Amino acid sequence: MAEKVLEVKDLVVEFRTDRGAVKAVNGVNFDVFKGKTVGIVGESGSGKSVTALAIMGLIPNPPGRIANGQILFEGKSLVNMSASEMRKIRGNKIAMIFQEPMTSLNPVFTIGNQIEEVIELHQPHLSRSLRTAKAVDMLRLVGIPSPDKRINEYPHQLSGGMRQRVMIAIALSCEPDVLIADEPTTALDVTIQAQILELMKKLQKELGMGIILITHDLGVVAETCDTVAVMYCGQIVESADVNTLFNHPAHPYTKGLMDSIPSFDSTSGSKKERLQTIEGMVPSLFDLPNGCNFQDRCSKVTDACRGSQGDPILKPSKGEGHYVACFNPLN
Amino acid sequence: MSEYLIEVKDLCKKFPIKGGLFGREVGAVNAVNNVSFKIKKGETLGLVGESGCGKTTLGRSLLRLIEPTSGQIIFNGQNIVNYTPAEMRAVRRKMQIIFQDPYASLNPRMTVGDILAEPMEIHGLHTEKSKRKARMLELLNQVQLPADALNKYPHEFSGGQRQRICIARALAVEPEFIVCDEPVSALDVSVQAQVVNLLMDLQRDLGLTFLFIAHDLKVVEYISNRVAVMYLGNMVEVAESSELYGHAKHPYTKALFSAIPHASTAGRAGRIILEGDIPSPMNPPSGCHFNPRCWNATEECRVNFPPITNQSGTHQYRCYNPIK
Repeated sequence: MAEKVLEVKDLVVEFRTDRGAVKAVNGVNFDVFKGKTVGIVGESGSGKSVTALAIMGLIPNPPGRIANGQILFEGKSLVNMSASEMRKIRGNKIAMIFQEPMTSLNPVFTIGNQIEEVIELHQPHLSRSLRTAKAVDMLRLVGIPSPDKRINEYPHQLSGGMRQRVMIAIALSCEPDVLIADEPTTALDVTIQAQILELMKKLQKELGMGIILITHDLGVVAETCDTVAVMYCGQIVESADVNTLFNHPAHPYTKGLMDSIPSFDSTSGSKKERLQTIEGMVPSLFDLPNGCNFQDRCSKVTDACRGSQGDPILKPSKGEGHYVACFNPLN
Repeated sequence: MSEYLIEVKDLCKKFPIKGGLFGREVGAVNAVNNVSFKIKKGETLGLVGESGCGKTTLGRSLLRLIEPTSGQIIFNGQNIVNYTPAEMRAVRRKMQIIFQDPYASLNPRMTVGDILAEPMEIHGLHTEKSKRKARMLELLNQVQLPADALNKYPHEFSGGQRQRICIARALAVEPEFIVCDEPVSALDVSVQAQVVNLLMDLQRDLGLTFLFIAHDLKVVEYISNRVAVMYLGNMVEVAESSELYGHAKHPYTKALFSAIPHASTAGRAGRIILEGDIPSPMNPPSGCHFNPRCWNATEECRVNFPPITNQSGTHQYRCYNPIK
């Protein structure tokens, strides 16, 4: 069994608003192992990004706060850590890549400056020339051609894919143990996405880091993750290793998500049967129903789902490591 | 009347690059370069390609929202390229567009009723108040929105519902042809499927013709009868959608399809990873524009621009060394 580097336990993140407190993340549990990738999938507003920000200690407070639960990094709790201690871990041991490579780089500094800044903060013993050398190495590592010239360029001189590579170089410059990638390829074209995902896999092998990959694209998950957690309305509704999840989804929501993606089927000439859809919309976090949050969109709904037996909790399903929060799981 | 609703011949759009002290023209970006295609009545032509390849420019030039530099657009047998603004207005009743971002394309200060009434007002349709109201309710029904939506504002709706409002607005003038410019890209997967189904139902019921622009190949393959692939302003391949997926001839098409992550764990292997980025359209590579990234490139590809192979057939491509 691989070494556990990060543990998230019963995490609850609450935001205070004019309409009352709202739980963007409500009781989330998962572990990150060395050299493995955990995928977190869900639609917009399901709490994926808030979970990531909570781990990084970046929840804006107020209005947000971690209301309950623990985040353990190598056994130490990150939740109650002082700001200065957190600063030593953030960017150094736990790094993050954001979705928008266009907006997450500072336009008035060269990319070299921006990589060196991280190294300077976390490895102050390195001299300036060593820092520059390291920045060039990082750019080479992420596959940027002629890195010694590129290092003096500004973000606007690079394409979207190149900027995302720079973001990865920044995140990896201190060789973190955990990398959080929040929709790292959503803003990129498919051919560039394939390059970036391949790069992340290669670097993971070389550096042995644990990755949390946040995405709404089930295809990306199937290609890159070892285990997957599906989130809905701030809760994990199903988690399993990637093969089990794709071959035997147990939660109707997971199944629904998979069915709503058109699949290529070149064999059937007269395809074009209707896409399966999930009826309705994600409920507002302000008035979640009693019982299962998915009840109004679910075809297998029963009285139990409507709250007569409380909220569904994650319970072991068939197969090892397969958990589902559903009263009527599929097979 | 031919069986084709719209026929495009050698359409070009150049954007000038201004530079120097007096803003002289120092060059041009060939956003759309000699593109020709035809769309039959009731058919959906999908248009795919990476960002910056000219998909959106092409879609907008068809409606002359962007003025094409040269070429012909033959709509219902009439070349509309030189139409006056007044003549164009009459044609626009028959051709509508749905935009990508349902948040930006609806005026936040107008109620849904006003939004739907505006195109009818412009084109002088259903001028009687009660008839217009009835038409608006019919439209809402067609896009499966409740009737009380009429008095609400766009912010009261979710992304998927807003896109339905945009679709209803496009349908308000009873068009024959709709350019769908990435209509589902901004939506969540489960909502995306609802909107795709809705578009297909409407096409069947109203006999609409679509140009469906998207970068999501899975959706395009699903919704389209034929698919065209663009690269740096050129159409590099066009074929029936199942043919294109199964038997792509152009290496770029092959790579594009192979780059899509599949939502199953079976097909992890066999990925073609293209090297490099799309070249700048200001300074495209000589010969075939794809040659610096192509693994089949030969000397010929670096010098000459490949012509369209199989001009008359249904499967056309621009490549000297097509995949067998």
